[in-house]
Parts: sequence; structure tokens; C-alpha cells
Amino acid sequence: MNYDALMHVGLFLPLLAGIALLIWPSLGRTFAVAAAGVTFLLAAWLFAGAQGEGAGYASQTLLLEPIQMYYALGLDGVGLMLWLAVSFTTLLAVYIAQVPIRMLGWALLMETGLLGIFAAADLVLFYVFFEATLIPALLMLGLYGGRERLKAAYTFALFTLVGSLPMLAAVFAVRYLGGAPSFLHADLAANPVSGAAATWVFLGFLVAFAVKTPLFPLHAWLPSFHAENHPSGLADAMGTLYKVGLFAFFKWAIPLAPEGFAQFQGLLLLLAAFGAIYAAWLAFAARDWKRLLAYGGVSHMGLGALGLFSGHADGVTGALFLLAASMVYTGGLFLVVGRIAERTETLEIGPVRGIAKSAPALSVLTMFLVMAMIGLPGLSGFPGEFMALLGAWKASPWLTFVAFTAVIAAAAYALTAYQALFQESPNRTVPDLTPREWVFGVAVVASTLLVGLYPKMFTELIHPVSEALAKLLGGGA
Amino acid sequence: MQETILLPLIILLPLLGFAVLGLWGKRMQEPTPGIVASALVLGSFVLGVVLLAQGGARWGLEDWLPGIPLSFALDNLSGLMVMIVAGIGFLIHVYAIGYMHGDAGFSRFFSYFNLFIAAMLVLVLGDSLPVVFVGWEGVGLASYLLIGFWYADRVNGDSARKAFIVNRIGDLGFLLGMGVLWANFGTLSISELREAIAPEGELAVGLNNAALALAAFLLFVGAIGKSAQVPLMVWLPDAMAGPTPVSALIHAATMVTAGVYLLCRNSFLYFDLPDVSFWIVLIGMITAVYGALCAFGQTDIKRIVAYSTLSQLGFMFVAAGVGAYWVAMFHVMTHAFFKALLFMSSGSVIHALGGEQDVRKMGGMWNYLPQTRIHGLVGALALGGLPLLSGFWSKDAILAYSYEYSPVVWFVMLLVAAMTALYSMRWFVLVFLGKYRGHEHPHESPSVMTWPNHVLTLGSLFAGFVGLPYVIQYKNFLEPWLNKVIVHHEHEKLPVLEEWTLILVSAAVAVGALYYGYRFFQAEAAGRLPAWFVRFQEASLRSFYADDVYNALIVKPLKSVAKILFDADNGVLTGFQWLGSVTGTLGGLLARLETGYLRFYAAGLLVAAVLLILVGVIR
Repeated sequence: MNYDALMHVGLFLPLLAGIALLIWPSLGRTFAVAAAGVTFLLAAWLFAGAQGEGAGYASQTLLLEPIQMYYALGLDGVGLMLWLAVSFTTLLAVYIAQVPIRMLGWALLMETGLLGIFAAADLVLFYVFFEATLIPALLMLGLYGGRERLKAAYTFALFTLVGSLPMLAAVFAVRYLGGAPSFLHADLAANPVSGAAATWVFLGFLVAFAVKTPLFPLHAWLPSFHAENHPSGLADAMGTLYKVGLFAFFKWAIPLAPEGFAQFQGLLLLLAAFGAIYAAWLAFAARDWKRLLAYGGVSHMGLGALGLFSGHADGVTGALFLLAASMVYTGGLFLVVGRIAERTETLEIGPVRGIAKSAPALSVLTMFLVMAMIGLPGLSGFPGEFMALLGAWKASPWLTFVAFTAVIAAAAYALTAYQALFQESPNRTVPDLTPREWVFGVAVVASTLLVGLYPKMFTELIHPVSEALAKLLGGGA
Repeated sequence: MQETILLPLIILLPLLGFAVLGLWGKRMQEPTPGIVASALVLGSFVLGVVLLAQGGARWGLEDWLPGIPLSFALDNLSGLMVMIVAGIGFLIHVYAIGYMHGDAGFSRFFSYFNLFIAAMLVLVLGDSLPVVFVGWEGVGLASYLLIGFWYADRVNGDSARKAFIVNRIGDLGFLLGMGVLWANFGTLSISELREAIAPEGELAVGLNNAALALAAFLLFVGAIGKSAQVPLMVWLPDAMAGPTPVSALIHAATMVTAGVYLLCRNSFLYFDLPDVSFWIVLIGMITAVYGALCAFGQTDIKRIVAYSTLSQLGFMFVAAGVGAYWVAMFHVMTHAFFKALLFMSSGSVIHALGGEQDVRKMGGMWNYLPQTRIHGLVGALALGGLPLLSGFWSKDAILAYSYEYSPVVWFVMLLVAAMTALYSMRWFVLVFLGKYRGHEHPHESPSVMTWPNHVLTLGSLFAGFVGLPYVIQYKNFLEPWLNKVIVHHEHEKLPVLEEWTLILVSAAVAVGALYYGYRFFQAEAAGRLPAWFVRFQEASLRSFYADDVYNALIVKPLKSVAKILFDADNGVLTGFQWLGSVTGTLGGLLARLETGYLRFYAAGLLVAAVLLILVGVIR
């Protein structure tokens, strides 16, 4: 079986399906679901086919001879895990979100961009995917967003583009200053830049990736991005998948300029820790669900970033695991909130109370996802958070302590909001889960349970990769 | 010890109950969900006893997380806990079939109840700290769900949330403690840590003592949260918002003792760290005193018992702190019997009075409830430490070991023992004696509720005989059995005369206080208390303002800052947008021909090019 071919098909299938859907919206939701479903199955097939530790797939074709740019894809354990997370969440999103059909097309376009980000093994190709994904994200916000959508889109574009330009410079700098023969990841990693150049290269990557982590204080675009997006949660779920900063640091910025990373490590740890508790604290004051989830996401990515920047293998594994897990549970929560908003016509926390009475299954589903977000052991949020903590402690006990007070805050903001909506004496009755929502709910709950109870499934594939990075940085296990 | 897949089955049985009842319980007729749930817990109990009789068991899965196994071990210590959790848990399940009769959430209740048992069994059987933590958080979740079981009342939801959040403070300690151990020993398996830290029951040489102490202290913080010790005690009294069987099972007999169990399980960390152990004694003592003082002023029948739980947990911590780990477990066991009995007698009274929980509207139940009155009496006397009852023996052992540690500790704990006898009589007198002060028609509970209490009554009477003091020339079963698996220092036995003196003093104090309490609180029922005591009770009723202080000093400021930060964060955004428009204008000047966002590209490219050239020049 030629798995490499599956990789190419999996990457471009959503793009083609998305274009088709934009041209012929009459193809309908079933078509979108089928395309996303096949993509997910391909990802699962690839995942199942990856034997042994850290094994994966690679394929390369020379694209631009003069600058030695390749169409090169590579999926190791980390890439495979993220492919699963992205394709699964996209499938959930196009399956459940009630949106205009064309919006599903944009979501599928975005999926190809995301898969490309995780698969690209050539830096220019990575850059192309990284930037191209912005277009459908912006269009979804601009076309289908709320009242203040243009302002939010402007903010989002501003942050992203300002980050992208230094990155573009870094893309070229890392190759020509490092002396690599091509833009291939392997070549670049074999010829890392050093000295002052490393500092500048890393700084070039830093802003772009920090915006997409998002890392404090460059998170500021996120709350309005989510608050203004279509209430269905489709764009929010896709936007959650677009928070690829941790991966980008892990795959590109750190290995290509390890000396540069060393320069910024202290600052990055500090920002990660501060961001984790800062965002969690803010989330408590959030008055609508989307902002709450946005800040909650920033907080958890801060915890992940702390693990990654620790430079220890446990922390790196934790960060990547948390990234993948949070894609599914945060994406799932945005979608659930979308379903609730359709019933109650508001995203605000407070006006509607006690709906657990009339919608018990919906309340259980939400509780599951909220608990996953809080990091309850046994659900998917825990293994990543925990491994991140174990790694981070080795790098900085104090910052670990500060950052992980966010797990207390997480319980406070999440359960307070949950109680306000589902408990207390009811002032509304809403319909419980429809059969379609049941399918969605069972799938998402099963995934959080499976990943939470049997993390080995992923950690045994990603840990060897993390160990390699930790070794590069001179840290031990 | 055998390697067997039957071990995780102990956990899977109630977990299965949780899933099945959660998904399909609503389609079952009452009392089927209750019977299913009870049977599964009984199954766990039987399986646990059988495996324990075969000399214990273990089971594991390597590299559940990198370097961290998913492993379980059934030895004497975890075996004792399994028997308490599944055994007493089974009795409380049966009782709940009667207590929850007619509740709209009947099947949901038993689903959560089974979830709790499963999580608690994970906690006690876990042989790897992260696995213990899975159970630790699992019981927290079950506790949250059950405290807020009647969630339509806002106050119940608030109490549940408070319990979860306060527990999380302790959990952070647990998490960080694991971080320390992992960084220093590279393993989180309890048996491997034990090998590394205390092989052959002695502290290994060349350990980093500061790190060890930090780890021990952080895990202790976790124990403080779960076992509601001062200063994280505020959640437990509010947890009484849950149905009474919940209070009996989770907030008295099992979950709240998990902190004590954690200390004993990891005694290899504590046994040679006098500084940390001193803190354990101190916290235990403060909690014991505080809980006892608060119990005097409560007017809610369950809150009196809840504060007594706080106080008794303090006793257990003192025992663990002075190094008498088996005694701590002994008290966990006897306490499980008599405290479950006290709660379920309270439940029967509440049931008899149609939901009334205010002791001021009770009294005279002796004449109405011919079986529950015996349960209540035995429970109160065992708690009060009447000689020969179970509570007397375990409390006496704690006092004896405290005396060896320091006579000051002994004296304080003796005072608390006297207070315990007093307030347990207060509870009994206000509920059962005198004239009935309400307007219901009290009726005895059905036998599904009284039979579990009969069994617990027997336990409260006789369970203490497995751990008699050495001066009584009769075998102490418990001490050698537990000490086989608990790392501890052998302690020198007190001289026979001293030991007898201590026993007689504590017996005399208990009997005297019980009698005095019996007399004194008949005056409260009649409203003829001295004025100073009434004032004291007012403060006691409000738990000496702990909640008010926490709200004013911690909760309110945190909330206000959250609001301020939330608005300030928008300011951050505005700042960036301003910066953006400046850059935009600049870009526009630099590249007039460009339109839209492309101008940023142009500006950035220029800046980047300049930087690149600069870098090249500097190099």
C-alpha cells in the first residue's frame, strides 16, 4: 500500500471538495460531510499504518529549481496526531454547525491549509500554507460574522500580517545565513543558524508564531475574533485549529535556530506562565461564552507553551498533546455553544438559566467537554497538561506554580458559567439533543474519553520526537 | 502478589454501573437502578476480599504516559480501604434505595454513586501517583455532581462549585508535588519511589532532603484540600447540601479520608521528615479544635455531624503526623462505621420528619423511632468515645501516640476528645430526648434503610477490638497487618503503668464529658442556656466567620481584579490597533501605490530587508 499517495489525497481532497461546494452549493451538506469524513478516514488510516516509534511518511518533489524549493510533505508521530485532531474536528464542525452551505466550503478550504501546515517539510511550502489558511479564516469572519465583524477581521489581519512579514524575512535568512542547500526541513535543521543571526531569525519567527499560539500579549485579537464569528461555532472551531503556534515553534523556530531560542527562553517562559494565569483570571469576568472559551484557550495554550519552552522532552510531549486535545475539546465546545445559542438566541452568560431540566443530555455533553477543558484526569485535557507540568517544573518551579494556578481558575470560570446556564431554577425550556446532535455528542465524548484514558496511543508516537528536540537543546528527558 | 486482570475488574464493575445507569437508567423502574448499583459495589467488595485473602494482587500497563505506568496494587493498606469503600459503600447504597425513593433523579443518583465508588477505588488501588490522581479528581467530580444533585436550588449549585474549586487548590499541591518527585527521581510509581527513598524501611543515603521535604509538603497540601483541613476546610460543611447518603459515603466515611490515606500510602516520604510531620500534627490539631468548636453552635442536624467529621479528620492527621500511620488508618476505619451511622441516623430522622433538618424543631424522637434511636445512641457514644466502643479504642491509640510525641499535643487532643463527647451528646439530646418540638408525624424508616444501620451499629460497637492497646493481653490484629506494608519507625512502647494511666484518663474524660453533655444540653432544648454560651454559639454557628473572612479577603478581590483586567485587556487590543494604524499610515507613505492590507506587506518587507542587511553587515 502506498501510504504516501494517501497523504497527498488527504491533503488536497478538502480543497477540491471545498471549491466544488463554493461553485455548486447545491451539493449540500452531505457532500461536505462526506469529504471531511473521507479525509478523517485517510488520516486515521495513515495513523494506523505508522508502525514503530516516531515512524512516519515523507515525500518530496522539486518545485522551483532555482531556489531549491520542494513540494515536500512529511508526517511523523506529531504530524499524524495533529492530522487526526484537525480532520476529526473539521468533520465534527461541518457535520453539526448550522450555517450557509458555502461557509462549509470555506471551512474545507481551510482544512487543507491546516493539514498542509502540519505536513509541510519545506519551509517555503510551510509559509505558503501558514499564510494561505488566513484567507478562508478572514473570509468566514468577514462574510458570515456578527455586527462588528469588519473591525474584528481588521484586527485579526493586522496581527497576522504584521507577524508574517518578519517571518518571511526569517524564512530566507535561516537558509542563506545557515548555508543550507534547500528549504527542506532536514537540510535546514542540519545547518542551523548561529550567533546574532540566530537571535534575529528566531525573533522573526517569534512574532508570527506567538500570534498564532496565542501567546500573551499577542492574544489580543482572539476574543473579538471569536465573539464576532458566526454563532454556529463553525468558524470558531476552525479558528481553534488555526492556533498552530506551538507546533510551529516546535517544528521550525526552535530546531532551526536553537541558539536564538536559548536567547529568548527565559522571556518566553515568563510570557507563557503569565499568559496562562492572566487569561484564566479574565475568563472569569467574561460575559459571553465565546469570550470565555477564547480566554480559556489562551490560558491552556499558555500552559502548553510553558511545557514546550521548558525544553524538556516531557514538557514538549505535553505541549503537543495538549495542542491536539484542545483542538478537539475547544472546537467541540464552540460547536456545542453554537447549538445552545440556536436554542436560546443568545451567547450571553446569565439571562438563560436552568436548561438542564429540559435538556439533560445536552447538559451532560457540555459537562463532559467542560471537564475536559478543566483538565480532569481520564479526559483528554489532562495528559497534555500534566506532562507539560512535569517538564516545566524542571525548567522553572516558580513559573510552573504561577502558571498552574490557572487550573484552579479554570474550575472557577468554567463551572460558574456552566452553573449559570444549566442549573438553578429554569426560566426557559429548550429542546434536548436531536438525533444528529446525539451522533456528534457520542463521537466527541468518545474521543475525549479514549484519548484521556489511553494517552499511550499518541504519546508513544510523539515522545521520541520530543526527545530528539530536547536532546538538540541539550536538556535531558 | 499475583499479577491479575481481576484487579482492575474491581474498579470496572461500578464504572460499568455508572455508564449503564447513566445511559439507560431512566428506562428502568425504581428500585432497579438502586439494586443494580448496590450489587455491583457488593461485587467489588467480594472480589477485593477474595484477592486480598490470596495475598494481594497487582496489575499494570507500562508507559501509559511516557515513563509513567498505569498500575494498581492491592496490599493490606489498600485492601483495608477497599473493604471500607466497597463494604460501607454497599451498605450506604442499600440505604439510599429507601432514602431516594420517589426522587425524580433516582437513577441519576445511583449512576453518580457508582462513579464515586469507581473513582475512589482507583484512588486507593493506584500504585502510580498520577493514577491515584485520576481517582483523586474523579471523586472530586462525583462529589461535585452529588453535592449539586438537586441543582435547581442555587445554593446547592454554589456549594458544589465551592467544593470543587477549593479542592482544586489542594490538587495543585498534589500536581506540583508530583513535579518535584518526577524531577528528582524520574519515576512516579509509588513502589519505585519507595524503593528509591526508603529501601529496607530506612531513608536512603544521599537524598536531596530539601526536595524530599518540598514534595512531601506539596502532597500534604493536596491532603489538606481533600480532607478539609484548616485552612481549606470551608467546603465541607456546605457539602451537606447533597442528599444525606452522599454525606455519609463521601463526606464522612470515604472520600474525605483520602488525604489521610495519601499520607499513609506515601509514609516513606514523611516518616523521616520531622519538620513536615510537625506541620501535619499542627494542622491536624488546629482542625480538630476548630471543628469541635464549630459543632457546638450548629442548628442543622447534618452540619453538626459535618463539623465533627472535620474534627475527627484532624485526629487522623495528628496520628499520621506523629508517625502512627496504622493508628490513622485504624481511626479511618472506626470513624467510617460510626460516622456513616450518625449520618444515616440523621437521614432517617430527616426522612421521618418530611425533610426537616433543624434540630430546634426536633426532640423526642426516642419515642417515635424505636430502631433509629438505637442507631443514633450507638453512633453518638462511639463518636464521643465511650469506653469499649470502636471510637474509644482508635481515639485512645491516637492519644497514646500523641503523648509520646509531646504531652502538649496529648493534652490538646484530650480536650478535643472531651469536646467531642460534649457535642455528640448535644446532637443526641436535641434530636432524641425531651419533647418533640415540631408538627410532623414522625414514622420509622423502612427496613431497607434500617438494616444497613443495624450492620453499622455492630461495627461501631465492635470494630475497635481489632486494634487493642498492647497492655490488654489480647492480640492486636491491625497493627502488624498494616505495618507490614507501611514504612514507619518502630516506636518504643510506653511502660505498662503509663499506658494504663492514659487509657483510664481518656476513659474518665470521655465518660465524664458524655454525662455532663447529656445534662447540659437538655437545658439548650429547653432554651435555658447561660448567656455566655449563647454568644459563643452564635459565633460557632457562623463557623467563627471563616467564610466571611475568605470572601472579603480572597474571593471578592479576585473577582474585582478579574473585572478590571477584563476591561484592561480591551485596552491592550486598542493599543495594538493604534499601533497598527500608525504602521499602516507609515506603510501607506512608503508604498503609495499599494492598497488594502498589502501595504503592511510592503512595509514589513522593507523593514525585514533592512534588518537582513544589517545582520549581514554585523556578521
